[in-house]
Amino acid sequence: MKGIVFTEFLEMVESEFGLETVDNIIEKSNLPSEGIYTSVATYEFNEMVALITQLSKEVDLPAGDLIYAFGLYLFSSLKNAHPEVIQNYKSPIGLLYSIEDHIHVHVKKLYPEAELPTFKILEKTDTSISMIYSSSRGLYRLAHGLIEKAFEHFNGKADISYELLKEDGTEVKFDVVQNG
Amino acid sequence: MDNKEVVLLKKALERQKKARKQAERILEDKSKELYDVTHHLRESNQKLENLLSEKTSELDGIFINIIDPYVVMDLQFNVINMNRSAKEFLGFDHLEKVVNLSQFIHPDFLAYTQESMSSMMEVGSLKNYRAKIILDGGVEKWIQINASLVYDKNQRPIAAQGIIRDISQETEVKRLVAEQKAQLDIIVENSPLGIVLSVDGEILKTNNTFLEMLGYNEKELKNVSFKSISQPEKVKGGIYSIDEMCAGKLDKFTEVWRFNKKDGTTIMGKTMMSAIHDDHRKTDYQVAIIEDISHQLEADRKLKASENRLSALISNLQTGVLLEDENGKVALTNQMFCNIFNIKNTPKNLIGVDCEESEKENKKLFKNPDNFVTRIEEILAKKEPVLADELEMLDGRVLARDFIPIDNDGDYKGHLWAYHDITISKNYRKNLEAQREKYGSIIANMNLGLVEVDNDDIIQMVNQSFCNMSGYESKYLIGKVASKVVRFKDGGIIEKKNKNRLGGISESYEVEVVDKNDNVKHWLISGAPRYDDTGSVIGSIGIHLDITDQKELELQKERLLKDLENSNQGLQEYAHIVSHDLKSPLRSISALATWLSDDYKDVLDESGRQNLDLMQEKVASMDKLIHGILEYSTANSSALDDSKVNLNEVITDIGETIYIPEHVKLVIPKPLPTIMADRIKVHQVFQNIIGNAVVHIEREEGLVEVLCKDDGEFWQFTISDNGVGIPEEYHKKIFDIFQSIGNNERSTGIGLSIVKKIVDRYQGNVWVDSAVGEGTQFHFTIKKHHN
Repeated sequence: MKGIVFTEFLEMVESEFGLETVDNIIEKSNLPSEGIYTSVATYEFNEMVALITQLSKEVDLPAGDLIYAFGLYLFSSLKNAHPEVIQNYKSPIGLLYSIEDHIHVHVKKLYPEAELPTFKILEKTDTSISMIYSSSRGLYRLAHGLIEKAFEHFNGKADISYELLKEDGTEVKFDVVQNG
Repeated sequence: MDNKEVVLLKKALERQKKARKQAERILEDKSKELYDVTHHLRESNQKLENLLSEKTSELDGIFINIIDPYVVMDLQFNVINMNRSAKEFLGFDHLEKVVNLSQFIHPDFLAYTQESMSSMMEVGSLKNYRAKIILDGGVEKWIQINASLVYDKNQRPIAAQGIIRDISQETEVKRLVAEQKAQLDIIVENSPLGIVLSVDGEILKTNNTFLEMLGYNEKELKNVSFKSISQPEKVKGGIYSIDEMCAGKLDKFTEVWRFNKKDGTTIMGKTMMSAIHDDHRKTDYQVAIIEDISHQLEADRKLKASENRLSALISNLQTGVLLEDENGKVALTNQMFCNIFNIKNTPKNLIGVDCEESEKENKKLFKNPDNFVTRIEEILAKKEPVLADELEMLDGRVLARDFIPIDNDGDYKGHLWAYHDITISKNYRKNLEAQREKYGSIIANMNLGLVEVDNDDIIQMVNQSFCNMSGYESKYLIGKVASKVVRFKDGGIIEKKNKNRLGGISESYEVEVVDKNDNVKHWLISGAPRYDDTGSVIGSIGIHLDITDQKELELQKERLLKDLENSNQGLQEYAHIVSHDLKSPLRSISALATWLSDDYKDVLDESGRQNLDLMQEKVASMDKLIHGILEYSTANSSALDDSKVNLNEVITDIGETIYIPEHVKLVIPKPLPTIMADRIKVHQVFQNIIGNAVVHIEREEGLVEVLCKDDGEFWQFTISDNGVGIPEEYHKKIFDIFQSIGNNERSTGIGLSIVKKIVDRYQGNVWVDSAVGEGTQFHFTIKKHHN
C-alpha cells in the first residue's frame, strides 16, 4: 500500500484524536515499519489493517466508520497534493466516470507498482452513475467517503447507496444520484 | 509542555527524520536510474548519426557525373544531395536551402506518388514513375523517374536516389497523336459501312461494323485474304478486279460481293475499293468500304413476289378486270373477264390487243349495243371514276361496271375496267322489294290496327286500320305518345304493358278506349317487343283488334243468362209453392175420405166403399205426381254437391228402402267403383231405374243386376233385368216427362225424365236396350271429371 495512505491516515488520527493516540496505535500495532512512513514508498497493507483495528479499539468506534471518515479526509489531501487532476473535471459524475480511464492511469505513471481498486461503470446519466467497486482490500467505505467528498468539492450533494455483492466487501455496487 | 508530550513529539520527530531519509534514498535511486537511461540513449543516437553520414559520403561522387538530373532524398522527400543537372532542371540548390521534393508534385499525382513510394519501399526500386510537377513560376513539366532505395548497414532503408527525365515534349506529342487517332477511330468505328484496310488483298485492319457484319472477331480476320471470305457476284473474263488493283492496274472499282459470314450464311455487300499509293506509284494499301445490301436485295425480291401474288389474285378474282394502258391496249386482264364476255382466248394472249376492237366484238352481247359503245366513249372522254354502271345483256345477265382511271401524279397512265355479274343479287333485290310490297300492303290493308312505338311510347308507324279504329289520321298520330293520344279507360295499363315489352314479354290483353268521336270501344291488343340488330329492345309493336261488337254480344249474353237464372229461380219457387199448395188439399181429401170410410162403413155399400178406396188411391197417385214434379224441378237447378260416393253402398241403401217384390233379387255381380258425384242425385238415378225394374218382372224368379264399365272419360252403368221389356217405340219416349208405358197406376211418368236430367248434368247419356218378354237394359254414363 502506498505510503501516502499511511501518512495521511496518521495525519487524520493526529488531528482528530491527538498525538498520543497516534503513538499508542503505532506502538500497539507492532509494525514492521515501526510507523515510519514516507508517501513515495510502499508498505504492507496489513500494517494499515493493524492501525485501523488498533484505532477502533482505542477510540471505541467501528472500524468501518473510521475508514469512511478517513475517505472524507483523504480526498482533501489528494486534492491538495494533485490539484491539476481534479481541475480536469467539471462535475463529480465526470470525475467518477474517469477514475479507471484517467486518474488511475496517471497514478500508474508515477507508481507503476501501485495496486489500485477497479470501478466498473454499469450506467451513467448526467445526474447519476452506478458502478461496481472491486478490490482485494475491501475498503469500500474509503471509496464511499471519497465519493461523497468529491460531490462536496463541486458544491454538490449526492445520495450514495451501496450494496455488498460479496460479504467481505471486495465487490460492492454503488448507486450515486446527484441531488443538488 | 509536559514530559509526556515531549516524549511523544520526540518519537514523532524521530519517525519523520527516518521517513525523510527513506524518501531521500528512494529519490537518489530514481535519479541514478534516470541518468543511466539518458546516457544509453545518447550513445545510440550518436551511432545512428555516424552510420548515416558514412553512407551519404559513400553515395556522393558516384552519381555526381550523371548527365540526367540526379537526386538523393531521405524518406520524407527532403533533398540530401543532387547533381548540377538536377539543380538546373529543378531550379534550386539543396545547399542553399532545405527543399522537400513533395512540394513540386502536381496535386493530381499525390496519390499515385504515395502508391509508387510504398511500392518502392516494398521492392526496393521504382521504374517509370511518370508524373507532372510544378516548378517555380508555375511551369508544369512531365517527368519520368527511375529510382532505388539507399540502405544503411543493417539493411534498413534510409534514403532514395533517382534519375529524372524530362518527358514533357514526348508526352505532348503522344497525347496529340492519341487524340487524332481517337477521332479517327470514332469516325471509322461509328461508320455504318464496313471499312477494311488491306495489303495485297490481305486484311490488315477492319472496323467493328465490318466485324459485326460478318460475325468474326478482329483476330480471326487478321491477314485473311479477301478472296477467302468473299466472291464477286460477276467476274468479267475470269479476271478479279482486286488482283488488277494489287498489280497497280486499277485504282478504284465498285462491285457487289457475296461475303461468307462466320455462321455459314452469306450477305451481299456493295464493295468500293480504292488503292492508296506511295510516292513511287506502287500500291501499298487498299481501302475497301462495304455496304450490306442484302436487305435491299431481299426487299427487291419481296416486291417481285408481291407483284406475282397480286397478279395471281387478279387472275382469280370474281370480278372481270381489264387494265387498259394509255394507248388503249390491254395491259392486264383475267379469266373472269374472258368468261363474262365469252372470249375463247386466254388472258395472257389478250395482252396488247386493241381495246376498241374487242369493244366492237363485245357489244353484240348487250341488249343495247350502241348504248354500250357510246357510254364507253362518254366515260373515256371524261376520265373520271364511274362506279356500278348497270348493263343488261342479251342472255338476261346484268353486269355492273366500274371505271377507274389510273394516274401517276396527275399523269394519265391508262384505266381499269371492272365487271361484276350482279344478275343474282339484282334478282334477289327485286324479289325482296316485291316481298316487301306484298307484306306492306297486307299490313296496310289488314283488318288489324298496327302500331309501332319506341321505348318512350312515341308512335313510329301506324297502318290504315289503326287510323280507322282510333279515328285519327296517321300524320296526326306519328310522333305522339300513344298512351296520351288514345284515351284508355284504365290510364296506367299501357305504361305497365310497355314495361313488360322492355322485359321481352309478349302478351295479349283487352282494353277499353274512347275514340275520337267519344265512342267507347273494346280493343284486343297483342303486344310484342321490337328488337334492333343487336337484339336490344327498341320499342314495341301492338296489333289491335276491335272487339267492340263481340264484347257487346258477350255482355248481352251475360245479361240473358242472368235473366234466365232469375226466371228459373222463379219457376222453381213457383213449383215449390204449387206442389205445396196442391198437397195440402190432397191431404184433406185423403183424411176426409178416410173419415167417410170409417164413419160410414156400415152405411156404405160395397160399391161406395170401393169408390172411396179408389178415391184414396187417386189421391196417393196425385201426391206422387206432385212429389215427382218437385223433384224434377230441383233435379235441374240445385247445385251439384260432389263428394266421393261408394256406389255399392248406394245400391244397398236402395235395396233396403224401396219396395222389392219377393220373387225379385237385386244383385251387384262385380263391386262398383267409388266416384265423384252428388250422392243424392246419384241415388235418385239408380233408385228411379231400379224401382222401375223390380216392379215390372212377371217371371217366377226376377233378377236385377247393376253393372259398371270404365269407359275412359266416362263411367258406364247398366241396370239389367229379366222383366217384361219395353216395346221399341217407347225407347225414346220414356225419358220425356209424363210418359209411361201402359196404364200402370203407380207410374207417374216422371222418374226417367229426372234420370235423364241428372245424367245430362253429368254430361252423360241415357238409353235403353230391351226386348219385350226378355228383359231390359238401362244404360247411362257419367263423365268422370265433369264441370
